[in-house]
Amino acid sequence: MDAFNNLMYGFGIALEPINIAYVFGGVFAGTIIGMLPGLGPISALALMIPITFAMEPSSGLILMAGVYYGAIFGGSTSSILLNAPGVAGTVATSFDGYPMAKKGLAGKALAIAAYSSFVGGTVSVIFLMLIAPLLSKVAVSFGPSEYFALMVLGLTAVVSLSDKSLVKGLIAAVVGVIISIVGIDMQTGTERFTFDSVQLLDGIDFLVVALGIFALAEVFYMLLRGGGGKEAPRNAIGSLKLTRSEVKEIAGPVGRSSVLGFFTGVLPGAGATIGSFLGYSMEKRIAKDGDTFGQGNIKGVAAPEAANNAACTGSFVPLLTLGVPGSGTTAVLLGALLVMGVNPGPMMLEQRPDVFWGVVASMYIGNIFLLVLNLPLIPLIAKILDLPRPLLLSLILIFCMIGVYGMSFSIFDLLLLLGFGLVGLGMRLFGFPAAPLILALILGNIMEESLRRALQISGGDWMTFIDKPISLGLLVIALLSLTLPLFKKRLKKKVAPDVAN
Amino acid sequence: MTSLTLKRLSLFALPLAAVAGLNSAAQAQEWTPSSSIEFVAPANPGGGWDTLVRTMSRVIQQEGLADESFAAINVPGGGGAVAWAQVARDEGNPHKLFATSPPMILVPLAGASRYDHTDFTPVARINTDYSIILVAADSDYQDLDDLLTALKEDPSLSVGGGSAPGSMDHIAIAGLASAAGIEASAVNYIPFSGGGDAMTNLMGGHIEAVVGGAGEAVGQLGEGSQLRALGVSSEERLGGGLSEVPTYQEQGFDYTFDIWRGVMGAPNMPEEAVAYYEDLFAEMLETDAWREASDQLGWIDAYQNSEEFGAFLDQQQDQFSDVLNELGLLRQ
Amino acid sequence: MTRLNTNQWLALVLALLAVAYLGMAWQIPTFPLPRPVDSDLFPKVLGFSLLILSVFLFFEKPTPIAGADEIDEEAQNGPLLLTPWARVIVTSLAIAAYAFLLVPLGFVLASTLLCVGLTAYYGYRRHGVNLATSLGVVLALYLVMTRVMDVYLPTGVLPF
Repeated sequence: MDAFNNLMYGFGIALEPINIAYVFGGVFAGTIIGMLPGLGPISALALMIPITFAMEPSSGLILMAGVYYGAIFGGSTSSILLNAPGVAGTVATSFDGYPMAKKGLAGKALAIAAYSSFVGGTVSVIFLMLIAPLLSKVAVSFGPSEYFALMVLGLTAVVSLSDKSLVKGLIAAVVGVIISIVGIDMQTGTERFTFDSVQLLDGIDFLVVALGIFALAEVFYMLLRGGGGKEAPRNAIGSLKLTRSEVKEIAGPVGRSSVLGFFTGVLPGAGATIGSFLGYSMEKRIAKDGDTFGQGNIKGVAAPEAANNAACTGSFVPLLTLGVPGSGTTAVLLGALLVMGVNPGPMMLEQRPDVFWGVVASMYIGNIFLLVLNLPLIPLIAKILDLPRPLLLSLILIFCMIGVYGMSFSIFDLLLLLGFGLVGLGMRLFGFPAAPLILALILGNIMEESLRRALQISGGDWMTFIDKPISLGLLVIALLSLTLPLFKKRLKKKVAPDVAN
Repeated sequence: MTSLTLKRLSLFALPLAAVAGLNSAAQAQEWTPSSSIEFVAPANPGGGWDTLVRTMSRVIQQEGLADESFAAINVPGGGGAVAWAQVARDEGNPHKLFATSPPMILVPLAGASRYDHTDFTPVARINTDYSIILVAADSDYQDLDDLLTALKEDPSLSVGGGSAPGSMDHIAIAGLASAAGIEASAVNYIPFSGGGDAMTNLMGGHIEAVVGGAGEAVGQLGEGSQLRALGVSSEERLGGGLSEVPTYQEQGFDYTFDIWRGVMGAPNMPEEAVAYYEDLFAEMLETDAWREASDQLGWIDAYQNSEEFGAFLDQQQDQFSDVLNELGLLRQ
Repeated sequence: MTRLNTNQWLALVLALLAVAYLGMAWQIPTFPLPRPVDSDLFPKVLGFSLLILSVFLFFEKPTPIAGADEIDEEAQNGPLLLTPWARVIVTSLAIAAYAFLLVPLGFVLASTLLCVGLTAYYGYRRHGVNLATSLGVVLALYLVMTRVMDVYLPTGVLPF
């Protein structure tokens, strides 16, 4: 009953009127930040540090945590409606969310996103509360070898994400890795493929590529197909209601992805983006109708949304129990806590239980707020799709530009965005899938870095990946996930002609 | 909420500001800024430079030390190189400052920036942090000597740090190794994507030791922690949570390493403007608001005026190029 | 066999790119300290993978190009500036122009111009609604970013 008492203590703090106000303010601001392109949770939090400076530490963290998970919650909106992800963690949501919106099911997609986010957020808070101290061991058990294996496992999803032509999917993935390793090589400090441009030293930002290849390419594609406003007005929003069978259908994916997302979040360096991709590709493989992922399958919205919110909460585990940030966002949170005079770490649970339990309790409240706040807003926000086509197209363009410029303040990145938009258009026209490219872009350089780090530690001995049980296990799963579908296909092929005959 | 009311600087006004600045510099001894000051953090929000810039701006604003506001502007990219290239174009502008630290020396030495510290006007050194060596709490290494002896016998022992080879953490450990009679390039330095990442790997037993910033590590030390500090690179023992950590020198290794932070300005900034900022920052360091903020962030004041700071930077450049040379990483 | 199909053209282009990429990969300098895997290994592997994959692509039977049949037929025969491809090209040029004019003109002016201009170009005729919506959205974004979030955006010729 210990956790229960602690939680009650936490609710005592989180339910103070001022803290309720902070939770509400935090998740509200977060939702808006998430919807707006260009202002990811990292910069938003860094800019908030001066505001939280004078606050009680528990209130400060409650506010900032609210902004963080609120942003992940709200980020799905622009992914679904405009194919323009507002934050990196919601890129995977656009794979099926945007096709749903195109079919006139925007309302349903947004509602599924909201419910799944809520469940993902809540399930992961329960985990955070019950087993956070134990999980710190899981977090540190992942060294470079284990990360390499995890990235390999993640990359095997390329196969299932390349829908029609495996060769084209693999080409897209190779290009994704090629983009990911541009810039200064962390392991040696060597410049690679920067063409002597200072702008490329830090590599190419993930969101520039994602916005270009998804949103901008989509605009170009619509222009080709006649964006002249001649198209009949769409019944844009559709119903918000889920049927009972739909609820049943997404229950499994949401549950699995919440757990998967949470554990991904616990691992330092993984986080919401990777979590959402892993959730998406796992469900695509498991689902009987996996082929329809990417064409507006509701499970394809539910899985990444549950996973990214769960991962967001999970990333508080290394922060609060070890005092080490697992991601850029939690690094800023750590900085803020230090400024407020709190040292997160193993001793924090004893020294500042008010901060830990207060934040945990506030997350329950925050998730409820988010759901209550977002559901009534959906019909309102989805109205954006009722705008005349020409206006909508230009607004999406402006959205992307602000998104990129507000992030890096770089004209060069705007031109890169244009370039990736044209590349994205070409990929669409010639049937190259975009998802493998994006996946490889996220995982590629982490894979390279951890491979080289692991070998540097082992003195060049490749056995390091097999000697460690976790890394061996992950590699075996990766191998199985590659070979099993092939066997299945072969079996099917053998059976199919017989039937035909 | 102070930062919300900061008046944002108009880029259009910059040329005007520069002219105004030069005029007043010519006329009066007592120079004061004529528009808000663009204070550049050559990195994204959240890092060390950004924290310095925002904390300084906030304290100056809060205490009403300057008539014009300091506008924090982030110019990320290339470990600082993008911002440096931008400031270098603003010759003589007295309203443009940027935060700086050892990468100002190291990045150019590695050949990754066209501009080095001599292209800018040193304004003042503000404070410093030190390098620290950490091992896991249950490690066999009880002091620095144990670790360095082990390193000498088995150079494959992995020492993690939070930055690329040839940058701060690597120089810190390579210099120490060199002082202990180990070949600097023999240290198996493993770069991680940040100090936190390196410390997690140390806790998980994936590496033997970590070299990092003392300010960043202090939260990890103390009762019940999973890490232990073997030594700090300061000349004297540090206070607070680090008071029990011996220095390298105490343990017989004659080596110190400063992770200094300071402020530099556009090339050929008028002397009067430099004098104004020197005084302003010296005054800022005396305020309670600064005291409180820097205590919480683990910063140690280490003020130097423009001239001292300039000489210090030259000497740092010599020291770093020796180490980089020994590592074979010198590109210039 | 005289005419190459789409995949074969694509494969040739990709193969050329892969060769160029490999050429660059070979110029990555060796790190002075010995590394088990140096900076050049990954690029080399990637370049060869791309090369091999383009060979596979060369022999793959092309599937019909998605959406090719959906290209706006009516506009195809319309005025040159309004053909589908002209729309893409003009939009790209407008974006490039926006990138270069953003700082001198300022965020509000440049963004509003781009938004209003493209909307009108795409064929929206209610210019009043167009201007009001574009300006409204741009101003709202600008104010949220600069006033609430404290993010600096270029002001340009406008005083704020």
